[in-house]
Amino acid sequence: MPDVYNWQIGRTMTYPYPEAHPRQQFAAVFNINRCIGCQTCTGACKATWTFSRGQEYMWWNNVETKPYGSYPQHWDVKALKLLDEAHQAAGVKPNWDRTQANEKAPYGVYNGLTLTEAAGPNEVVLGYLPADAEWRSPNFYEDTSTAYRGGPFGLSPDGATLPEHQAWFFYLMRICNHCTYPACLAACPRKAIYKREEDGIVLIDQERCRGYRKCVEACPYKKAMYRGTTQVSEKCVGCYPRVEGADPLSDGVPMEARCMAVCPGKIRLNGLVEIAEDGSWVEAPQHPLYYLVRIAQVALPLYPQFGTEPNIYYIPPRWAPRPYLRQMFGPGVDQAIERYIAPSRELLAVLQLFRTTQKMIFRFEIEEGALVREVEVNGKMWQMYDDTVIGFDAQGREVVRLSVVEPLHERPLERLNSI
Amino acid sequence: MFKRNFVIATLILLASLATILLNAPLVSSQGLTITAAAVEGALPLEAPDSELWRLATAVEVPLSAQMIARPILPETNAKAITVRALHNGEEIAFLLEWADATRNDATVRVEDFRDAVALQFPLIDGQPFYCMGQQGGDVNIWHWKADWQAALIARRTLQDVYPNIHVDMYPFVDETENLYLAAYADVDFLPAEAVGNLLALPVHTTPVEDMVAGGFGSLTSQPPEGQNVQGYGEWRDGLWRVILSRSLRSTEAEDVSFAPEKLYSVAFAAWDGANRERNGAKSTSQWVSLQLGAAPAPAAAPAAGAAAPSPARTAAVTPSGIGPLFWGFIGLLVVLWALIALTLLYFRDEGKS
Repeated sequence: MPDVYNWQIGRTMTYPYPEAHPRQQFAAVFNINRCIGCQTCTGACKATWTFSRGQEYMWWNNVETKPYGSYPQHWDVKALKLLDEAHQAAGVKPNWDRTQANEKAPYGVYNGLTLTEAAGPNEVVLGYLPADAEWRSPNFYEDTSTAYRGGPFGLSPDGATLPEHQAWFFYLMRICNHCTYPACLAACPRKAIYKREEDGIVLIDQERCRGYRKCVEACPYKKAMYRGTTQVSEKCVGCYPRVEGADPLSDGVPMEARCMAVCPGKIRLNGLVEIAEDGSWVEAPQHPLYYLVRIAQVALPLYPQFGTEPNIYYIPPRWAPRPYLRQMFGPGVDQAIERYIAPSRELLAVLQLFRTTQKMIFRFEIEEGALVREVEVNGKMWQMYDDTVIGFDAQGREVVRLSVVEPLHERPLERLNSI
Repeated sequence: MFKRNFVIATLILLASLATILLNAPLVSSQGLTITAAAVEGALPLEAPDSELWRLATAVEVPLSAQMIARPILPETNAKAITVRALHNGEEIAFLLEWADATRNDATVRVEDFRDAVALQFPLIDGQPFYCMGQQGGDVNIWHWKADWQAALIARRTLQDVYPNIHVDMYPFVDETENLYLAAYADVDFLPAEAVGNLLALPVHTTPVEDMVAGGFGSLTSQPPEGQNVQGYGEWRDGLWRVILSRSLRSTEAEDVSFAPEKLYSVAFAAWDGANRERNGAKSTSQWVSLQLGAAPAPAAAPAAGAAAPSPARTAAVTPSGIGPLFWGFIGLLVVLWALIALTLLYFRDEGKS
């Protein structure tokens, strides 16, 4: 098998196909800290793509409650267990070498096996096929926290103190990661899965698919799904008509996917990042996604050790136990949380851009404003400035303008209760 | 004493010959030849019990797991297929029998895989790679599916699999009908069907998919108008018996075409759905020779599907011109007479000694 370079694990890895990268990549940042678990994203996706016969168990977008919730049930625990068993069989102790972190390997180097490397001689990807019962009850364990150990009268004065809550849960919102090295694509014996050159969206060719379900088995995130009524598999399409700018509302420029654009919690920012021929992200410090992922590094890939180079990035929840988060988002977690808790002036401005326009933002600018607040965060002084951030669409037109401090309008007395 | 040993040896030899002539299966891993016996009249296309099948020599084709292209399943369940073939100058039919402990004829749930069997014929002179052909060496594949077979009688709906399902409505479905069966007004919501994927069609007219391949991963359905292979299968007591049939000749470039008295190659594959066998996870054979008998001369023959009183009777009324089969039965009669004569001779000698 050829070797491909995966910057998220900081090294080359085996993959059945040689490197060939799209010109742009569909990517997003999800801010877990802000999610209220309302499932509006889930409903929007369902109402757009999966409302038909045979798609009853299909949730291309889902929000699960960690650590216990998962759709399909225990997908993450099962995938990690398979990988753990492969490591034990191979006598490998996986770890991340942070000392080797550099521009091409921002999280350091992962020394364990990826899912293609751990597959063994008979399979292309290490995986498992969840049975139908596992796809039911997608919200099982919703809002279920870890055990709460109270003091006298069951109360604990420091149960919810930071940096880590004693009893905790957080929402994990998931769609297809439109991976750079998709496991589904690698496993398909028919080459029925492809990654689009123009935006890196991963699609299943509905004409070529023969319903073998190797993609369902291989995708560690379990975002390829089988439709029994048509005997073929389907998956998240990244709302590609919107990304293409084909939606009548879009004015001919790329629009965010439905799940992103509906988010009431304003946790999602979706866009296209420019990809160089070698697969690296073309330097674009004024691109909000490039800034969040590559410069501020507050947003991290989900289970980078799987080796698929997923393109949905998460700002980890600051209250959850760090070992759990490191397993989930890799070794960049501590730095990401530290930077998120006391954001730089620029980061705070960029965070305002989430879910403020349906159009994808390709560039931002910041106009500096006044110092409005000075507080102590984690023992250090932190200043907040009322800067203004301006977002521009694919054609360089201004599409949104926001200040850090939300404008406050006070209704005059004579208009009180005048609705 | 010498005479007695000689007689016993001759008896054993004759018995062996008789066994072969009485259609006992051959077991050999190579050099197998399946003879498509020529018969008169309609072929038993949906009657695996038909006496006509006794005119065809049963050949047991050994199978082994596909071990070349990943994904590989080293332990597949089907170890052999018993094959019989008949033709009547117009059509050719194959009766395939193989052991399978479970009937898997639904594919609605994500963990459900079908039982299936396939025939493969080269589309070039000679033998391309025996597994799916190769580039420049296309093969024609007839793929019988247990779920398509079951759907010919009653298509499985979500309601059959999930009796307690309740859906208020599916948009774009005719709500006056059963929601779980009703046709879609707009097939765009069934994308696989909309782009013409044969697997996604709500109705099939045959349980066999007619396909072409030229190497691993290249398997392609022939267009709907090119689907000309018929099939019939039934499962009973741990045994699948499946008949695949087609007209001898086909003008389609992606179809194998047959002529009487000619020699062809054929390969077999079987999948056990219970073992999650699908695509390359299958049992497969090497190439096997397929010899078509001479075209039958017009004469009286047992009607297709009609059970004759006994195989011997069928043989007796089989007209000349049937070729190897006819001579086979003449041979059988000679052997029987010889047996009787030798037995008489033996006991006469015993009486003397």
